[in-house]
Amino acid sequence: MKSPCILKFRANRVTEMRPSLVILVNCPANVAPLRAAAPWSPSPRQHTGPSRRLFWTVAIILLATLVSTPYANAQAPDAQSSPESYEGEPIPILSAGMGFITPFEGGAPHLDPLISPVILIPLGNHWLIESRDTFEASFVQPPGSGGFRGKVLKEVDYVQLDYIANPYLTVTVGRYLTPFGIFNERLYPIWIRDLQSDPLILPIGIGPSNAGTGAMVRGGFAAGPQIRINYTAYFSTLSTVSPMDSDRFAGGRLGIYLPGPRLEFGGSFQHLLEQERSNSFGFHFAWQPLRVPLDLRGEYARSIHGSGYWIESAYRLRQAPFWNNELRRAQVVARAQQFFVGALPAASLLPVNTQQVEFGLNYYFRDDLRGVSSYGRQFSALGNENIWTVGLTYRFVVPLGRAEARGANN
Amino acid sequence: MPRHLILFLASVITVGAAVWVGAQERTPAPAAASTAVATAPGSAHSSAVTPRANAAARLEGEKRFRANCERCHAAPGKFPPRMMATIVRHMRVRANITGEDARLILNYMSQ
Repeated sequence: MKSPCILKFRANRVTEMRPSLVILVNCPANVAPLRAAAPWSPSPRQHTGPSRRLFWTVAIILLATLVSTPYANAQAPDAQSSPESYEGEPIPILSAGMGFITPFEGGAPHLDPLISPVILIPLGNHWLIESRDTFEASFVQPPGSGGFRGKVLKEVDYVQLDYIANPYLTVTVGRYLTPFGIFNERLYPIWIRDLQSDPLILPIGIGPSNAGTGAMVRGGFAAGPQIRINYTAYFSTLSTVSPMDSDRFAGGRLGIYLPGPRLEFGGSFQHLLEQERSNSFGFHFAWQPLRVPLDLRGEYARSIHGSGYWIESAYRLRQAPFWNNELRRAQVVARAQQFFVGALPAASLLPVNTQQVEFGLNYYFRDDLRGVSSYGRQFSALGNENIWTVGLTYRFVVPLGRAEARGANN
Repeated sequence: MPRHLILFLASVITVGAAVWVGAQERTPAPAAASTAVATAPGSAHSSAVTPRANAAARLEGEKRFRANCERCHAAPGKFPPRMMATIVRHMRVRANITGEDARLILNYMSQ
C-alpha cells in the first residue's frame, strides 16, 4: 500500500472552486512519503548540506538579533520602546473581518460567507499575543440538485507571540503569516483587498495555509530622511497538525519605502528545506501618488512550480467634480495578471498557463462597511470564462475590557 | 575561522549597524512633534504641551499615518485610546512600523 501524500493548500476564493482544502493522492516515486508517522522527526535527508547551513544561518541571525537587543534598548528611551505607555495600558480587543461574497464562475453561482476573527492580547509594554482564524464556506449548487451544498473550512492563519525588543525590531514565535511579497503580508484580509479574488501567483512562496510555524524577526528603521527600510527573516518548521500545517522553509523579505514619492519596492526570498528543496523569489512594488487618490501595486513571483505577476490599480473618486458626496465613497479597481506553469506543477496553482483581467467597483457605505463587485475574464487552454463577484464586507472592533482610561470620566 | 563564527559575526555587525543607524536617525524627527508626543495627554508632563507643539505632532502623526497605514487600507474610525494603543501595537508588528512612527500615529489617532 502506498503512503498517502498530503498536499494542502488554501482554496483560491474565486478562481479555484475546489470543494476541499485537502487533497489526498498517492505519492509518485520521486517524492518522499510525507509526514505520516513522526512529523517532527527529521528524515535522513533533512539537516544535510545546504539546508543545514541555511538552518544555522537563520538560527545565528536570530541569536545575533537577541544579543543586540540589550544594546538597542540601552540606546532607546523607554517612551520609544513602549510607545503606547503614555496613553494608558492597552487592552485586549476582538476584531473581525467578515463578508458574504457571491462569485459567478462560468455562469454558476457560488455562495461564499467568510468570517475572520482577530484576537489581540497585549501584555505589558513589549508583548503581544495575536491570532487570526478564518471560517470560510463555499456553497455550490450541484447539477440536478435544488439546493446549495458545501463545506465550512477553518484555518488558523496565525497564532503568534510578539516581543517588541526595541523600536526597530520585533521577535515573533508561533504560527505566522508567511512574509512573501505584499498580498499575503499586507492585503489578504477581506476588508482590505480591493478585489475579492486571490492573485493567481499567491500560493508561490507562502506554504500551505499561507503560514509558517517557527520564529521570525521583523522591523523597520529609517536609513535616511527619505528612506525607510523594513525587513523580515524567518524560519518555519514542518507541521502536519491540521489546521496549523506548515512546511519547513526559511527566507527573508526586504522592503524599501521612499516617503517623498510614496513608493515602496522590495523583494522576497525563500528556500524550501524539504521535498524538492527549491527556491522561491519575488519582487513587489506599491505606489501612491501624492496628489491623486490612486493605489498602484504589483508583484512578481517565481518558483519551480510556476511564475507570474499581477498589477492592480485602485482609484478612489474623491476628486469627482460632481456628486462628490456620493462618488467620493466609490472606488474603481482594475487588475491584470498572468501565470506560467513551472517545471514541477503544484496542486495549489493552476495547471495551465493563464491570463486574467478584472475590473471592480467598490462602495464604502461607512469606513467599515463596503459593497464590492467585479467582473473578470480568464483566458487559458482549459477554456475561457467570465468571473463575476458581488458581495459585502464588514469589519468590527470590540474591546475585551474597560476601553476608557481610568479617570477619563472625571 | 569556522564558517559559523563568520556568519555569527556578520549577523551581529549587520543587526548592530541597523539598530545604530536607526538610533542615530531618531533624533532628526521634528522637534516640536517629538516634544508634543513625549508630553501627550495622559503623561505626567502634559501640562507643558503647547497648542502649537500639539498641532505639529498631530500633523506629523497624520503624515506618518498616511505613509504607513493608508498604503494598504482606508482610514478606520477612531477608537478610545486604550483600544487604539492595542491596534497600533498590532499594526506596528504587522506593517513593520518603527517605534517613533507608531508613537506619532497613536497620538494622531487618539485625538
